[in-house]
Amino acid sequence: MFYLPTNSTDATELFALEEWIANQAWGETTLLLWSTAPTIMIGKYQDALAEVNLALADQYHLAVTRRKSGGGTIYTDPGSLQYSLIAPKASQTIDFSRFLNLICKVFRQIGVPVECSDRNDLLIKGRKFSGNAQYNLNGYVIHHGSLLFDTDLDTMAAALQVDQLKLISKHISSVHQRVINLKEVLPYPDTETFKQQFLKELNPLVGGLQVRHLTTTQKVEVAQIRTATFANSAFIYDRVPTTLITKKRYFPGGGLVKLSIAVEHGVLSDLKISGDFFSNLDPYQLTSALLGRPFRPEQIRPQLEAILEKTPIYHIQVDDLINLLFG
Amino acid sequence: MEKELKMPKLSPKSDDYFFGSWEKQVGDEVKKGDILFEVESEKVISEVPSDYNGVLKEQRVEEGNPISAGDVVAVLEVSDS
Repeated sequence: MFYLPTNSTDATELFALEEWIANQAWGETTLLLWSTAPTIMIGKYQDALAEVNLALADQYHLAVTRRKSGGGTIYTDPGSLQYSLIAPKASQTIDFSRFLNLICKVFRQIGVPVECSDRNDLLIKGRKFSGNAQYNLNGYVIHHGSLLFDTDLDTMAAALQVDQLKLISKHISSVHQRVINLKEVLPYPDTETFKQQFLKELNPLVGGLQVRHLTTTQKVEVAQIRTATFANSAFIYDRVPTTLITKKRYFPGGGLVKLSIAVEHGVLSDLKISGDFFSNLDPYQLTSALLGRPFRPEQIRPQLEAILEKTPIYHIQVDDLINLLFG
Repeated sequence: MEKELKMPKLSPKSDDYFFGSWEKQVGDEVKKGDILFEVESEKVISEVPSDYNGVLKEQRVEEGNPISAGDVVAVLEVSDS
């Protein structure tokens, strides 16, 4: 098994590296072991508007990314360890066992009894600490797994909680489960120590890891994939043809605000605002300023600020509306 | 000759799939091995290739809809070569 050490904490760079490795067709399984800055990763056919609290992501500078593998949305941070196994595809049939058996063996060596669920998650005492997903490229399987070691579970829960009355779009929905950080059951003080122990136990199980490094030219090729796909906001936000959302919230002292929103390929295509709030706000002025803009907090906020500066809403601020729109 | 293409069984655990995207459009020439469409099942994105040469005549499934193994997905005008 090849092993490519990496210090990158940018998930889009790691996704690009996985794809680059699959395209090399080395004929051997390659392992990546990596951690990220605080990041939300949605599955290939998910709708960010359904799965991610974009208001909170914007507020706390959480990176929002899209994988090319399936499954649900996850949150990762420096307390999480991600593994990628890029391996020649053995057959057209979906197979997780060849990868999960290996990971389970590593944990047995470490001294933790783990179970594999029917959703291909790894559990300790019924609580999930690892989710797994795959996609196929160029005759290779790209298998990702996440390992919660010391992840900020409060931020995870908040980032993946979206408050909406109704949302209609064609997408894969996440399945939320009870989770556990491995730090609760392992003696290692930090994620780096856990990572080194993981590598130490894995090494003999695969007949020794053969370390590889990228050349400068190869790093440029990876960067090109990242720019073209994984760091491209169109790939992250524009996949879903249509999302219809209805939201409402009562703001104490301000009143009730109801929103009816339509987003097409990531762009706000319709917005209706109603309620019993106090303002001279002209709904037509609001919609004409916002329609056609990418439906993301950083794109909508400046317009809202300009409008509310001229025509305030009594006891309702821009942040309140951003939280209602995206939270 | 027209040939109905059916959703293959890709998973030993499930016959249910989310139809992700079409990689070929109606009227496109298709070669054996070309990717026709992509599906998701059990957190896996799978590309489904054509077993035939020909021209895509009909797409019978919309992107984003559920399908099952054995469902007719497309109609291909199969060529001899």
